[in-house]
Amino acid sequence: MTDSDIPEDAPRCSHCGEPFPTERLRALHRGLEHPDSLDDAERAAFEDAYRGEGDDIRSFRLRALAALVALYFGFLMTYAVVAV
Amino acid sequence: MSRRGARALGAVVGLLAVCGVAAAHGGSLRDASGQELAVPTWLFLSTGGAVVGASFLLASFVTDRELVAAIDEWRRRLPAPRRALAWAGRAVGVAGFAVVLLAGFARPDIDPLRNAAIVVVWVGWWAAFVMSTYLVGNSWPAVNPFRTLTRPLSWLLGGRDTSLSPGRAAWASTAFLLALVWVEVVSPLADEPRLLAATTVGYLALCVVGVAALGRDRWFADVDPLSRLFSMYGAVAPVQRTDDGLALRLPAMRLTDDVVTTNGGVAFVVALVWGTTYDGLVGTPAWASFARAVVDAGVPAAVLYPAALLVGFLAFHRLYWWAARSARAVAPTYTDAGVLARRFAPSLLAIGAGYHLAHYLVYALSLSPSLFGALLAPLDPPVARTLVLPSWLSAVGVAAVLLGHLLAIWVAHATAYDELPGRLQAIRSQYALTLVMVFYTMTSLWIIGQPAAEPPFL
Repeated sequence: MTDSDIPEDAPRCSHCGEPFPTERLRALHRGLEHPDSLDDAERAAFEDAYRGEGDDIRSFRLRALAALVALYFGFLMTYAVVAV
Repeated sequence: MSRRGARALGAVVGLLAVCGVAAAHGGSLRDASGQELAVPTWLFLSTGGAVVGASFLLASFVTDRELVAAIDEWRRRLPAPRRALAWAGRAVGVAGFAVVLLAGFARPDIDPLRNAAIVVVWVGWWAAFVMSTYLVGNSWPAVNPFRTLTRPLSWLLGGRDTSLSPGRAAWASTAFLLALVWVEVVSPLADEPRLLAATTVGYLALCVVGVAALGRDRWFADVDPLSRLFSMYGAVAPVQRTDDGLALRLPAMRLTDDVVTTNGGVAFVVALVWGTTYDGLVGTPAWASFARAVVDAGVPAAVLYPAALLVGFLAFHRLYWWAARSARAVAPTYTDAGVLARRFAPSLLAIGAGYHLAHYLVYALSLSPSLFGALLAPLDPPVARTLVLPSWLSAVGVAAVLLGHLLAIWVAHATAYDELPGRLQAIRSQYALTLVMVFYTMTSLWIIGQPAAEPPFL
């Protein structure tokens, strides 16, 4: 709850000083919150982070879809067996 | 399977929408119980939980920031004669207050289903008016008769400036709300017109003391539990008050703004949700046998009821904060857990509104002839009649519960996207909150699935 568990060397936003757990989240934050004051390196970092996140989201979607299918068929079978 | 599913759904429809008699209690799940289920209880409960979990998974497929923000921020100006509406609201509020006092004190002999005091408070106000606050917009600041009637007092006292912090004010409001729930559960307010009218006068006295101590604006904006309750429900509504007039928004999307600004405000939202649950819980046979066992062991019933109310509130409150802290750890983010707790709390209000609608829609419509009769002749109302409603109307109840949960999931999703920089991080921050919502859905469905019982020792 407090700031005490934020490590000293956590990446911080160069514009507002907010700390982030990872470099990628910092890059995303800079692109979303300070879009007009980015230098070229920060802009490139934001675009990289955004693309990298897109790959992770695709894999998350696959797992979410698998969970939905499992949920659906799990309940289908359970209803077929139990609620006769 | 589809027939089975339809029957299970039908059972839920029936359970949620069974209308109570005029003795229905505020925000209660209690009167909605009492029918046989076609499926075993555990399956019924896990289906309800799974619907919420599945809707979280579905919401997680929407990862386009611009789309999420466009849905949240859509608004249109709504031209309206605000002054005229405010005066009309005040007149209606004071007239309703007068009818309650008149019918409560002058004609307490009329039976509760016809008595204007009972019908105006429970059908007109607690069912129909509350529905209007989350379906249309919160008009309580204008209607509130306690606010209108304490106006001369504020002229007398002049402007007051107190040093009560908003956080403490919200905690005080939470304590008052829990006290109201307790009074409502343990006293026969829905059966005794004179007691109801006396309670209304007592509430006015409380407001007078509050206004004298804190100033009128402060009392009604921050501390008065009814005003806070309606402003919370009002955040679900499409019509919103802004600095430059009324605005139209998509339903529940105001919940993604800073509706809750203090930790006390979080406690109030949790108390609102827990109050509904508690009112239902004390009407279950499980509670009856538990209460008998505890009273046999030597605990007075007068202690048991408030103690259970308080313990349950603390448990819900801790659970919610656990969800906020795990959101911080799992996301991961260095955003304060308090910030996350305050931002995600409003999503619970959509669930509360859904349950209220499911419980009171059929009740309000079927007793509306009683309400009109009592309003036309408060001192000598006609024979009580109930409206015969088409059976499909009860399906609206189930749709309301589902919609409430779906809106809550969406609001939490959109809020996370607004608060956190990472899209996947935002989804991960929702794991714990979704678990809490699943738990809450299953608790509510369990209460609804129990046969109705009178709370013992009251």
